[in-house]
Amino acid sequence: MFKKEEGEIKEGETETIIGPSVKVEGDFHGEGSIVVEGQVNGTLRTNQNLKIGTNAKIKADIQAANVFIAGEVKGNLQIKERAELKSTAKVTGDIVTKIISIETGAVLNGKCTSGNEGTAEREIMKPKIKNNRNNILRKEEF
Amino acid sequence: MYFYLYDSFLNNKKYVSTLAKIENRLIDLGINGKIDKLSVLKSAQEAIEDSVKNGVDTIVAVGNDKTFAKIVPIVAKQNGLTLGFIPLEDNVIAKFLGIPTGEKACDTLSSRLIERIDLGKANDFYFFSELNIPESEDLTLECNGGHFRINSVNHSNVIKICNLTYASLKGNFKSRKLCDPNDGLLEAIFTPASTGLLGKNQLDFNKRSVFPIRKIKIKSDHSLSLVADGETVIKTPVIVQVVPKKLKLIVGKERKF
Repeated sequence: MFKKEEGEIKEGETETIIGPSVKVEGDFHGEGSIVVEGQVNGTLRTNQNLKIGTNAKIKADIQAANVFIAGEVKGNLQIKERAELKSTAKVTGDIVTKIISIETGAVLNGKCTSGNEGTAEREIMKPKIKNNRNNILRKEEF
Repeated sequence: MYFYLYDSFLNNKKYVSTLAKIENRLIDLGINGKIDKLSVLKSAQEAIEDSVKNGVDTIVAVGNDKTFAKIVPIVAKQNGLTLGFIPLEDNVIAKFLGIPTGEKACDTLSSRLIERIDLGKANDFYFFSELNIPESEDLTLECNGGHFRINSVNHSNVIKICNLTYASLKGNFKSRKLCDPNDGLLEAIFTPASTGLLGKNQLDFNKRSVFPIRKIKIKSDHSLSLVADGETVIKTPVIVQVVPKKLKLIVGKERKF
């Protein structure tokens, strides 16, 4: 979804743009890709891509499929696929993601969990009790 | 059954021959109907409500952009009506709808290509294109049931809630999804403005903010006047929402949506 080198979201896919002239407060849940160049306080969620620009200031917990960070983020990030921190990124908070890329100069203060463990960890948090019971029963039968 | 509503400016003698040609063409096509003219004594609302009582199902606005913008909210309030348009001057709405000017518009009307489009609703008023919001320090926009709030940082934005736009959106993105009257969404658009060399407002499209929304509450400590489709003024607080597929509209093949 990101362009290979610039880390930008393709033009036609952009749905929400939080520009530098606005401030968003509260639980922001976008249905499509989000580009942030302004300020966000609260929570920021999308099931698609999130691009945080150089001048963006975010104090929010973030959930997204992919994230590209060039600005400032204070909050925990739960990323399904790929998190990319550019040299100008400043992140204070924990990151859970499958793939992480951190450029030289980027600042990360927090715990980082990457690889399949990161996503598996989230799945363990919500165990499927019925399935587990069935599995145990089957093992006993054999 | 068709009902043709002529705007009051068409009483001017210079339109007599054009209107005669249009009326003849409508007879040729077999889509002629009752004609009424707006005047100081006859409002569009009164004329349309009377026609609906007489079993009319298609209202045709004859005039210009302002005529169309005036009639849309009235037609939208009536269920089951279809709206057509015969523009007599080159105008942006007609181009957007793909309807040619004058006599040729009768052919578009006759082919009856109908699109159901979304409308915006600000309190009880329907709007077709956009709602302009004046910038103010105490202005707050609460979206989607108050889950998040948008404030201006420098209070120099041009703010509008957009259902569709006639002009192509300038800027560093060209998403076709923006301001699409068929997407079931409105867009809240904030464009930062600065004063240029000649004291004229310059809009910075590259720093624009765009929020797709279904419902938004516009609040301010002091009463603000919002302008819908350049015609109607609505005072804050205003709840704006999208009404999907609300308007049945006769359009041309060259329409831009």
